[in-house]
Amino acid sequence: MFKELCQKSFPKSLWVYHCNVGACNGCDIEVIDVLTPYYDAERFGIKLVGSPRHADVLLVCGPVTRQVVPALKRLYDAVPAPKLVIAIGSCAVGGGIWFDSYNVVGGADTILPVDYYIPGCPPRPEAILHGVAVALGLAEKEIESVHLKQLPDRPESVPVEVESS
Amino acid sequence: MNAQQLGQNIEDRFGPDVIDWNVLGPDQLYVTITPESLVEVAEYLYQDQGCRYVINGGTDRRQQRDAFLITHFFAQDEEKIYIAVHTEVEADDPQVDSITPVVPAANWSERETRDMVGVVAVGHPDPRRLVLADDWPEDLYPLRTDVAHDIKPPPAEGVAPERLEPPEGASVVPIGPFFPVLEEPAYFRVFVEGEMVVGADYRGFYNHRGIEKLGCSVLTYNQIPFIAERICGICGYVHSCSYCQTVERAAGIEIPERAEYIRTIVLELERVQSHLLWLGIAAHIIGFDTVLMQTWRMREPLMWLCERITGNRKSYGMNLVGGVRRDIKPEIYDDIRSVIDKIGAEWQELAGAIPGDSTLMARVRGTGILTTETARGLGAAGPTARGSGLAIDVRVDHPYAAYDRLEVTKCVHDSCDNLARVLVRVEETLDAIKILHQALDDMPDGPIMAEIDEELPAGRQAMSAVEAPRGEVFHWVLTGTENRPERWRVRAPTYANLQNVPPMLAGNALADVPISIGSYDPCFSCTERMEVVDVNSGQVRVYTEEEFRAEYDQPGDE
Amino acid sequence: MIASKLKEAILSLRPGRVTLKYPFAPHDPEEDFRGYPELDADKCIGCGGCAAVCPARLIMIQDIDQNTRRIMRLLERCIFCGRCADVCPEDAITMTKRFELSTDSGREDMVAECEVFMATCQRCGRCYEPPTPLDKIMEPGLRHDEIKRGGQDSPYKHISSE
Repeated sequence: MFKELCQKSFPKSLWVYHCNVGACNGCDIEVIDVLTPYYDAERFGIKLVGSPRHADVLLVCGPVTRQVVPALKRLYDAVPAPKLVIAIGSCAVGGGIWFDSYNVVGGADTILPVDYYIPGCPPRPEAILHGVAVALGLAEKEIESVHLKQLPDRPESVPVEVESS
Repeated sequence: MNAQQLGQNIEDRFGPDVIDWNVLGPDQLYVTITPESLVEVAEYLYQDQGCRYVINGGTDRRQQRDAFLITHFFAQDEEKIYIAVHTEVEADDPQVDSITPVVPAANWSERETRDMVGVVAVGHPDPRRLVLADDWPEDLYPLRTDVAHDIKPPPAEGVAPERLEPPEGASVVPIGPFFPVLEEPAYFRVFVEGEMVVGADYRGFYNHRGIEKLGCSVLTYNQIPFIAERICGICGYVHSCSYCQTVERAAGIEIPERAEYIRTIVLELERVQSHLLWLGIAAHIIGFDTVLMQTWRMREPLMWLCERITGNRKSYGMNLVGGVRRDIKPEIYDDIRSVIDKIGAEWQELAGAIPGDSTLMARVRGTGILTTETARGLGAAGPTARGSGLAIDVRVDHPYAAYDRLEVTKCVHDSCDNLARVLVRVEETLDAIKILHQALDDMPDGPIMAEIDEELPAGRQAMSAVEAPRGEVFHWVLTGTENRPERWRVRAPTYANLQNVPPMLAGNALADVPISIGSYDPCFSCTERMEVVDVNSGQVRVYTEEEFRAEYDQPGDE
Repeated sequence: MIASKLKEAILSLRPGRVTLKYPFAPHDPEEDFRGYPELDADKCIGCGGCAAVCPARLIMIQDIDQNTRRIMRLLERCIFCGRCADVCPEDAITMTKRFELSTDSGREDMVAECEVFMATCQRCGRCYEPPTPLDKIMEPGLRHDEIKRGGQDSPYKHISSE
């Protein structure tokens, strides 16, 4: 419902503000890469802005570190509503390789409500574009959780899908 | 003079204070000294022997020796030696003399050791917290072995970092912690008098993820290369290379020659990629987006090439202890050649156009001066050091992988300004392309992975360094039990270079601050907002960048 | 000055239009790209080698009952290194070329679960042969029941609860 509203509110262009909350820079560089000639996200009206107050979308890269939490909350509050949060990269999605470290709080959704997730380490620029396309309603998500089971009487047979979300 | 002689010299000079010393390989010297003589030994190495300071590391050895091991690392580049100076500090009185007064470059790492291991450097000129979060409890030291890697103390409200007081009459311009375009959050407080910068304070480590702790407590030897690679997403391969080399040295594993060449090739591809990226960002900082778009366009085919060789555009995942995971197929050689030749040709063209561009040159020539003395004193590394006339390059000074068989040029400029650092990188890129050609021509056949039949022995140590695009990456490993190191210490080049920022900024116009910070390649491009503290009235006003620009005519982008 | 601006203009104009058609036309990754790791449940023998080498520690091995072992993978934090595929003795894991993994319905979409029928298994771990001693299984008894989500034990409050 909220998402539909968002899609209606930004029919043409999303202005994004990018913040690194503890990332290794891999995802940050890919985000910039998306704006350069080969991928050119500006053709979808996407523009990187210099202030959170101008932004519709917050791009979060990296695992949220302890030191960054207060600043990140302030930053989120500074973005005017309605706003979207996109978590880019495995760290922002699930905490990444350091999910349980003493100084890492976890994925971005530990602190913020996240609307779109783009896993990858780092995600290819195409994957980021695909995420943007999903956010803009141009493409459907292609991934869903998998639950498989080997059956006792037919251990050699093809596993059956017991459940799918 | 070799490592043996240097060890003998130290023993002759300090006699009973030297508890033990030994030499590993031709180029590594390990000295154990008494805590009382630490400052003198450090001064002797730094002043009399002309050594360069690398880093300091603390190890909790209370279980084995009832002591903390404090290690200062030095490098003697002319003699190609790395020196580790070990001191044991009693567990119930964790204090050691600070060497920062005699070796200024030790400033940060002594503070870090205090934060992480809890060994206080007595006499440190600036003993503030460096690494841990502001709300981290005072008496909890994450790198001690009795502290769990996943401990999460409750947050505290209303804590702020201790700040340096600005000089009398100066105003404070905070920059950060978030920068809208790129890279790590960091918080600079620049002290200005009018337009001129008179000093700066830095609070960083927003990106501290506890990598060393994970490496020493949960991960195993062959998992660490992947976390090491994620220390930096731009030049991560240097970290996994350096880590693997260190463990291989400690365990005495000889890696196959072909693996050495593959590492060299990927390292140089990464250097070209990183320098292209950096030039684009630097141009973006000074508002010249054409160069940003063009360098990144030139870089893209290289990223596809890396994806083809390694399976990922970056964070290649190529290294394991003992060699590399993937071979470079001979049919790709020609594609590599054609991609880098195209980049080389376009790069030369671009480099030819830049010097004539007077608007561009006005922003970089004569700004951000970092004198040779300061650069050496604060331990600058890589292009930052070479732009200040220090001819250090690990590829030549302490050869690793296949660099001893290849011809590497040290690109040095001595004008000490932002322009010098640009030129160093421009030349290095062309040099990297030459090295790639040599390596591809000489590439031997054979296996890519050494046979490892036994578990790695505990208690061995080794040091190894790699020349990253940003400077020297240094790793030290003390092997342990349970298939993981007892201590793994990393020094990234920016750790050394960041300490050079305050002196580099002093004496510049505020407008030159972004490019000066950017010139050593952490790439801050512009400020999210600025907070100006008026010293005289004590009032705080928060400006947006537009307001700020209107009021102070601060050029910037975005 | 003008000459150099001209040179820059030529350099910028020469390549022409390079922008890829993606996402309206596919742009496939190179061969050997490491994308979504797919587990062929038919081949999996539940040895736990993948869990032992995974740097992101996202694979849980859990014995539900005598006959069934659950392999739970929280791919939300996968770093796509492909080590699991390297060490798998049955080649049950393949690094596919799938990279379009973005989702709007939470990180649950990246969870992959597989229940393996283990009736006759002695759980000795000998079916997994580590490529080197460095890749041996470290967990005693092969199974580990603790797999945490990043942020599960965060001491900080979610912004919506403030």
